[in-house]
Amino acid sequence: MTHQLLRRLLAPLVGIVVFLGAWELLVRTQHVRPFVLRAPSRIVHYLGQQAGDYTGAAWVTIQHAMIGTAFALLVALLIGSAMAASSFFEHAAQPVLTLLQVTPFVAYIASVVLWLGSGTKPAVFIVALVCMPAFTFATVDGMRGADPAARELLASVDATRWEVLWRLRLPSAMPSLFTTARYNVGLALIAAYLVEGGNFANEGLGAIGKRAAAFNKGDALWAAVFSMALLGTISLVLISVAQRLVMHWHVSQRRQLR
Amino acid sequence: MSRIVLRDLTKSFGELPVVDPLSLSVQAGEFVSIIGPSGCGKTTLVRVIAGLEPATSGDVEVDGAPPRHARANKRVAMVPQQPGLLPWRTVRANARLLLDVNRAANPTDAVAPEALLDEVGLSGFLDRFPHELSGGMQQRVALVRALALHAPLLVMDEPFAALDEITRAEMRVLLNRLVEGKHVTVLFVTHSIAEAVALSDRVLVSSPRPASIIADIAIDLHRPRPTDVEDHPRFVELCANVRHALHRGMAL
Repeated sequence: MTHQLLRRLLAPLVGIVVFLGAWELLVRTQHVRPFVLRAPSRIVHYLGQQAGDYTGAAWVTIQHAMIGTAFALLVALLIGSAMAASSFFEHAAQPVLTLLQVTPFVAYIASVVLWLGSGTKPAVFIVALVCMPAFTFATVDGMRGADPAARELLASVDATRWEVLWRLRLPSAMPSLFTTARYNVGLALIAAYLVEGGNFANEGLGAIGKRAAAFNKGDALWAAVFSMALLGTISLVLISVAQRLVMHWHVSQRRQLR
Repeated sequence: MSRIVLRDLTKSFGELPVVDPLSLSVQAGEFVSIIGPSGCGKTTLVRVIAGLEPATSGDVEVDGAPPRHARANKRVAMVPQQPGLLPWRTVRANARLLLDVNRAANPTDAVAPEALLDEVGLSGFLDRFPHELSGGMQQRVALVRALALHAPLLVMDEPFAALDEITRAEMRVLLNRLVEGKHVTVLFVTHSIAEAVALSDRVLVSSPRPASIIADIAIDLHRPRPTDVEDHPRFVELCANVRHALHRGMAL
């Protein structure tokens, strides 16, 4: 078991090291100019020097992403349950959710900042807004996919709507919610980054990135990008661990033949 | 006392008649099977009796009341064709599922699911999950889940249809042992002749759709049924009777 776990943790590390190695090699052998592409070693060196600033900023960004995701999930569960229960509501909500999903949120960051002010509020709001539709669709799909035999069985003893929701529908939505969470990680982090760069609070990796771009500080910009990638990777690992713990009963979590 | 009374029941889906005027009554403590070709409307009949589907016309009385009462008071325990176990619940928790909802209607004399799980030979699997069990074991959990309700009426809709022949034979013996002497009334839907005869006091033969009862065959094998009941000449004879009735129904 521990051996297996080690291998599971080792594999992604190997992937990252190979990728960074190839990148480093490319920059060094092809003499790529630094303003086109910097070598990872240089970025890491810079990050090491500015570690304090970047960990502080990363902490702000991860909070924006996480609180926003939590709100998104909460709203999605509410709307998704209603959609799964009523097809009229489903058909009414679908176009609105799709509209939210396809609107480039960069376009309305400025409006939201004007409305909610600078700082945490607009970041959390926009993260929640962009993550909510996918979570909602996942909730509806998962709930609709609940085992018909179990549904019939609960109906045969007059279980209430709430009991069916709690005992059957919500757990049935777990697999699709986890899949969506993996997809939403990137979206949430990018949304947090862009809103941080688009307001005047001067907090978070997005603010560093924006300033670096404005003043042509390549090292600072690339360090911000690297930090974002690191946050994304850590979040994905955490989601995998949570999935393993919560969903150990699901087919996807068992050892499989390849 | 009659546990189930149907008077001129009909059921149709739109233009399609599924159950023709059908009358039957099942006495308390009786084990009655309905056998018929697949697609004949047996499952629909079961759903009407369980209060999951309204009748189109006619009277349905379950436990002396309309089916929706029986349903609200947990007087009917169902065993569906698919076990319908929840994959995130352990065996123990799955066996409790029907007790965990609509608790106000729980009987005061509900049987502890653990005792029943022990009775069906699953005491070593209480904390396992459904995916760790064989098909027969899963269906045994489904059986316990229904019995734990301690409902006076047990409705089983082809519960062993998805199992292999060896496991089915085992389940027949097990079910006989579980219900004999427990004053439970059983309505059992099947398309297996041997299953119907081995388990029942009475076998009702249904015509192809729309369902109607074309034969009512008393099974006079004594109880408790011995495990080798299927080797008795009388068993073979009764199976032949049921088979002939089925064929007559198909020829109509």
